[in-house]
Amino acid sequence: MLLHYLKTAWKVFLRRKFFTLISLFGISFTLVVLTVAVALLDHNFGPHPPEVHHDRTRAVLRATMLGEHNTSNSGAGYKLLDRYARNLPGVEIFSIASQPAAAQSFLGGQKITLQVRRTDAEFWRILAFDFLEGGPFDARDVAEARFVAVINRATRDRLFAGRPALGLTFEADGQRFRVVGVVGDVPTMRRMSSADAWVPLTTAKTDAYKNDLLGPFMGIALLERGASARQVNAELSARLKRAELPDPKNYDRLIARFETPLENLARSLFGARGEEEPHLERLWAAIAIAGLLFMLLPTVNLVNLNVSRMMERASEIGVRKAFGASSRTLVGQFVVENVALSLIGAVAGFVLTEAVLRAVTASGILPYARLGINFRVFFSGVAIAVFFGVLSGVYPAWRMSRMNPVQALKGASR
Amino acid sequence: MIRHYLKLTWNRRRSNLLIAVEILLSFVVTFIVVTLAAHGADNYRRPLGFEWRDAWNVIAYAQLGHPGEHGEEMPPEVLETARHVFAAIREFPEVESVGGTTCPPYGFSEWTSSSDIDGWHLRYGVNLATDGLASALGLQLTRGRWFDARDDGAAWVPVVVNERLAAEVARGGDPIGMSIPRKKEQDATEEPELRIVGVVGDFRQNGEFATPQNYLFRRHRLDDATRRPPENLIVRLRPGTTAAFEEELVKRLQAVAPDWSFEVTPLEQMRETRFRMVLGPLIGAAVIAGFLLLMVAMGLTGVLWQTVTQRTREIGLRRAKGATSGDIRKQVVGELLVLTLIAVAAGTALALQFPLLELTGPISGRVFAVGLLASAACICALTMACAWYPSLIATRVTPAEALHYE
Repeated sequence: MLLHYLKTAWKVFLRRKFFTLISLFGISFTLVVLTVAVALLDHNFGPHPPEVHHDRTRAVLRATMLGEHNTSNSGAGYKLLDRYARNLPGVEIFSIASQPAAAQSFLGGQKITLQVRRTDAEFWRILAFDFLEGGPFDARDVAEARFVAVINRATRDRLFAGRPALGLTFEADGQRFRVVGVVGDVPTMRRMSSADAWVPLTTAKTDAYKNDLLGPFMGIALLERGASARQVNAELSARLKRAELPDPKNYDRLIARFETPLENLARSLFGARGEEEPHLERLWAAIAIAGLLFMLLPTVNLVNLNVSRMMERASEIGVRKAFGASSRTLVGQFVVENVALSLIGAVAGFVLTEAVLRAVTASGILPYARLGINFRVFFSGVAIAVFFGVLSGVYPAWRMSRMNPVQALKGASR
Repeated sequence: MIRHYLKLTWNRRRSNLLIAVEILLSFVVTFIVVTLAAHGADNYRRPLGFEWRDAWNVIAYAQLGHPGEHGEEMPPEVLETARHVFAAIREFPEVESVGGTTCPPYGFSEWTSSSDIDGWHLRYGVNLATDGLASALGLQLTRGRWFDARDDGAAWVPVVVNERLAAEVARGGDPIGMSIPRKKEQDATEEPELRIVGVVGDFRQNGEFATPQNYLFRRHRLDDATRRPPENLIVRLRPGTTAAFEEELVKRLQAVAPDWSFEVTPLEQMRETRFRMVLGPLIGAAVIAGFLLLMVAMGLTGVLWQTVTQRTREIGLRRAKGATSGDIRKQVVGELLVLTLIAVAAGTALALQFPLLELTGPISGRVFAVGLLASAACICALTMACAWYPSLIATRVTPAEALHYE
């Protein structure tokens, strides 16, 4: 029966090529936009290496000092992380790293800007980088402030023309570092891990950073298996309540939390004060509403097309009804037909998506982007396509199947 | 005639409703994109207030705690180093002038001050500026003067405002010598008096696409120990200076201040980054909207085509009773026009909720109206284009063929 429906559908598609083309265009275009959007979200927030323990990794990405009249928002300072966020119960490994900062150097008259991140040795235990050469620096390198660096592949290409770089040195911001490891590129949008070069924390030009409660640092925690982020944050909040603030007249509270980059985005978009849980559900709702609103127009377009396409087949339906086909059978047939059309559109959409994602990756708009259709995105795309097919198939089919056979045979006009 | 089309449209209300919804949605999409684009274009043609050509932004970063945070003054040697850095830059023959600032143009830091004074909501962007900034940025003073040594030792903080803020504060009077109003309960110890010494035409810190806003420069003295030295040094270069000078400059600065970090970015490059950030999403939205409209256009054409074929008998009858092919085309186009106008009217009613609920944000009423009219025209043109081919098919129906159809 299904095969028969599919055969009929194929014949119908070929008979009205223009209509089929419009439907396919609508479906595949909608899918391209949605899938590219999902791929971008996934690229920024999804679980990708080096964040291998994505479900257990949380970071203090922002800290806030609050007073009655003043709010100061920034990254966390070293002192806050070092004094209050270490050794929290439920945390397996804790690392302090700076946010990437631009460091310039000149190579043969050419300016090279590197994003340098200063980290401790634990950083390399939480995040599993893919080492092409050598390995990470260790706790002794950090303790003794050795000028060693891990660089990424793109930096190796720029500084050393892609040749093996172990043991070679380069200059950044007036300091000279020796390469001890080379890793694959990490997309710049990955806030916890990305950089061009990673060097020990202690190689900073002065120690002044050690006194700051706010500053350009982040604390990264790998939670113990089964530990709850909520409890870790409760303990951190309790410790921060007892913190000594340098300017109690203007600022009387210090707020910082461990969260995922997505939670951090939700917080900055929906303005939850630092102590509340971030409104992650609102972020998801906003994404879902945006997606639905975007799909509304293509869906209405498709339904319109289907309605008029079905009108044309009124006599076919009349004949089938006259020979005893029930409404259910007819609805089933049209649903199968539309799902088939949606699936063809889905395939076309994925081919186009792949092309768009390749173009975006090649354009360098997102540095070190690794966009690709992964399976999660692929299957959500297929689900959307089928949803489309059923939605746009049910309404016209239901309308047609209620038609009086006589009227249908005459070719109803309304 | 219109009434007749209305009646015809009403008779086919069920299938027409969906088409009207489709046109309405297309109108909304067009309206959003057109209005945002018009807003950008409107801002782009306004004066920028500074000159980005031949200027570099040098970020001079000294790693020290924020003085406000520690409640202590800057160490004198840091201020000393800052003065040396400024002097070192000025020594180069390639440099015309240098000025320090907290929020450089096209940068990503902003500082806004807002206060409610007896129901007057006064809001303005704030920036700190050294005496050299006006010439380094090429700011155009329209009244008064920029900061200089004459302001040393004054009991107030000298400020330079833009025309917009001057007009709001002075209300038609002469702004020079006036002070920026503050809340009554704020005493002078908490916040010093800000007195206007000059007015610039404008300074749109966020660049060409920024919405004009009130703006204020506060004088920043290099020997002010309560603040960290300015982190952004705007360096104006003699025209024709090449990028090779950058290396020379950075090497020299690193020798003067070995503990500091320096990063040089031409303003032109910061401008490009800002343009990409503003235009990227807009172009993305426009491309998506363009494809959506193309899809709608093809869909509408298909639907109309189908309708015309279906109404062969009706059209044949009209031809038999003497209607010309022009009449038939008018009918097909007219019916769709009626439908489009209904949808656009509904869309306009929807769009008008934004200004009524005061949700338009920085978008002015004029831009809003332009966007509304332009998108209405756009949608009408689009649907008329869609009706063109199906109406042509309709005229090909001959009475004999049509009446034979049954």
